[in-house]
Amino acid sequence: MDLGKMKDGAEQTSPLFRAWVAARRPFKVDSPFFAAGNVERELVAKQISLEITEEEKKHIVQSEEEQLWEIFCPIVGCRTKLKGVGELESHYLSRHSATCSICTRVFPTTRLLNLHVSETHDSFFRAKVALNYPMYECLMEGCSARFLSDSNRHQHLVDKHHFPRSFRFHVKKHASQKQRQRQKAHQPSNSGSTPKQSKKNQRAKAASESAPDVHTDRKDYESTTPSETQNQDTPMDVDELVTAVSRLSTVSQDETPSVLRFGHRRGRGVPFGQKSRGSGRGRGRGRSGRDQEDDSPPLQSIST
Amino acid sequence: MMNHGGDGPAATNLRRDPFKTSVGKGAGQRRRQAAITIGKDRRDSVVRAKRLRRADPADHGDGDAMQLAAVAADDDVAYKLLEDSTAAAVLNLKNIGKKATPKKVEALQTLRRLLSCSAYPPVHVAVQAGVVPLLVDCLGFGASEDQLFEAAWCLTNIASGDPEQTRAVEPALPLLILHLGEKNPARVVEQCAWALGNVAGEAEDLRDWLLRQGALSALARNLSSPIITLVRTAAWALSNLIKGPNSRAATELMKMDGIVDTLVRLVSNGDDELVVEVAWVLVYVTSMSDLHSSQLIHAGLLPPLVARLAVSHHQPLLTPVLRTIGNIVASDNSKCDAVLAAGQSLPGGINGALARILETEHRTLQKEAAWVVSNLAAGSILHKRAVFNGGAVSPLLYLLATSTFDVRKEAAYALGNLCVAPRDQGEEGKPILEHLNVLVDRGCLMGFIALVKSPDLESARLGLQFLELVMRALPDGKGPKLVEKLDGIAAMEELQFHANEELRIMSNMLIDQYFGEDYGLEEEFVSGDARTQYGPEYPPWRRGGLAA
Repeated sequence: MDLGKMKDGAEQTSPLFRAWVAARRPFKVDSPFFAAGNVERELVAKQISLEITEEEKKHIVQSEEEQLWEIFCPIVGCRTKLKGVGELESHYLSRHSATCSICTRVFPTTRLLNLHVSETHDSFFRAKVALNYPMYECLMEGCSARFLSDSNRHQHLVDKHHFPRSFRFHVKKHASQKQRQRQKAHQPSNSGSTPKQSKKNQRAKAASESAPDVHTDRKDYESTTPSETQNQDTPMDVDELVTAVSRLSTVSQDETPSVLRFGHRRGRGVPFGQKSRGSGRGRGRGRSGRDQEDDSPPLQSIST
Repeated sequence: MMNHGGDGPAATNLRRDPFKTSVGKGAGQRRRQAAITIGKDRRDSVVRAKRLRRADPADHGDGDAMQLAAVAADDDVAYKLLEDSTAAAVLNLKNIGKKATPKKVEALQTLRRLLSCSAYPPVHVAVQAGVVPLLVDCLGFGASEDQLFEAAWCLTNIASGDPEQTRAVEPALPLLILHLGEKNPARVVEQCAWALGNVAGEAEDLRDWLLRQGALSALARNLSSPIITLVRTAAWALSNLIKGPNSRAATELMKMDGIVDTLVRLVSNGDDELVVEVAWVLVYVTSMSDLHSSQLIHAGLLPPLVARLAVSHHQPLLTPVLRTIGNIVASDNSKCDAVLAAGQSLPGGINGALARILETEHRTLQKEAAWVVSNLAAGSILHKRAVFNGGAVSPLLYLLATSTFDVRKEAAYALGNLCVAPRDQGEEGKPILEHLNVLVDRGCLMGFIALVKSPDLESARLGLQFLELVMRALPDGKGPKLVEKLDGIAAMEELQFHANEELRIMSNMLIDQYFGEDYGLEEEFVSGDARTQYGPEYPPWRRGGLAA
């Protein structure tokens, strides 16, 4: 390294010296380089949650204006009172969108609605089950497991998907005290109720909803608005029922029917045919207003 | 996450407030420790990625809960009252049983208010009283919208607490996931997403579990909703879910049909608050894989993204947008081309936008912006020229001279990269004199010498490398002269016996080469024509002549 070299300017330094190299420096997502920005993000977010955002302000203004605009839900048979467009939309989505038209139960997704209808209202499904096809699908999307019985599926949900043991997909619907009294007054001729699904309902229906209330006992089949009064639940296998009944725990006494009867009068006339899904087979359709006394549901399909 | 270490500040508080009721354990200490934790958060960069839901704008309030809230912040007695009310509310809910009555919804609402009202709601009390199974029971299919909403809100706030409290929400997770379904009322879906976001933000094992249960697709589907607040919350929850560091989730997200277009659309059209959350999703996605970046660029992400960078003043938005662009730019030349191209329609382009950010007073933004510039400047000659002429140089020089250490380091990278030719042309290390001369003339050398003196190894090395470049490249020996004038020799000498071997070697080599024993010695024995013989690289005092 003599001075002579220096005069020439851009000579190379000794190769041992790691000279500046212009290189890109990507950082991994959890690199400490980003830490300061991450912390700020969350501190800001905490403050934001205390303020009312522009969006929410708009919402408040809107809802105050809409207090004045009241309508009734336009869907036949649903007599919910709604204030404003927002409520209408929300109500429609929650009550008439993934709603079972037979028992008016609501579900968060179309898929769950389909499962419900198949398992609860479809005799074809029941038949397949009786033939030992694994018909009960896992509820979680992406899991393709299928089971021979509701209880097997339930066990799977608990084991694999960490559902709480108390969860029930099928519920036994119970009318409130008042409703049952009302029904008894209406129809003194028929008594007894059809036991619903095999598992006891521990999740009572939303009593706060008005028209689409579920009435568990048989209805007056002459009614032309079956949606209100209709209730259709095909009982499952006798075996299952027996085991289920024996497993019943009485949470509240007045919700358990004192008399259990098997056999039923099947409901007719699915009002919004397009809404109820399922195999579409083996289900009575388009027979509104006609009583049917036979106990065994027809296995053949009756097309809409 | 809540380290219960450090009694110092807590003890100090006690001493400072002798008139307050004696605290001991309990609420006050908990809150103080939480405050300490936030302080530690800043230092240790442990981030609480959970969000408590406080206000319901339409809520005209439960007077009692609100009053409790106002007082509870400072008053331990009132906080105890709050805790007791919460326990009572849980008991009340339990007694209502499984019937779905209006009373149940009311009870849930009361509980919800109690769990929302202070910055540190008495979640622990509720959990201990066994609230979670009760809430899970409220989440059955067919429950009313109000019931689902209130239960989900309670779970959200429980999940926003300490790690044990977040984990206590586990039994509810499958149902929360199912309730993300598109047929649920929007506010229910949003609230469930919020709760899940809190859980996802807690720990990687929880994220993995949620992913296995299909939470990702359920959440992501909601990005297409027309309801803005829902999309925003879903995007935030999604960002917590995919943050990794395992890239599996991000990859799964990017495989979803239509997701790329949805993300681009949201960035283009969304309001600020929405874009903030979507941008964070993009931050994770772009940092995990170059392929993702390519997909997004292909779908037209860059023009709206760069536009936001150029015009927004909203710091929470600038951070993730900048970082996303930074991730993209940190990959390869073609992506840099795309970014530069996207900025062309804007006045100043991407470099002008970056310059604007370098000029904000915000340290983190400045640091990350300098990082982005450094990666752009590590590209092709054209990239370097674009950066050099794009207006970022002035603020970078300023930052190098005056800012905090971490910002100075990034500025140094950026400026240095501008002065060195790209690797690929086999001319590694070759200086770009036109840039180097300008920067040196504008006084950048001092900043680099300061880095040499830094305790951070990487910075010291950077400083040495730049000095070497200067001394090698500047003609007529200008380099060593300048370095010496600015006390660079002293700085290098400090490293000669440094613990780190590389630094020792480097500094010694430089000193030997440029300031060797012969340095200046010849001067002493030389007559007046030293200048002609040995050139002007000798400092005047060596030449025995006039001061320069």
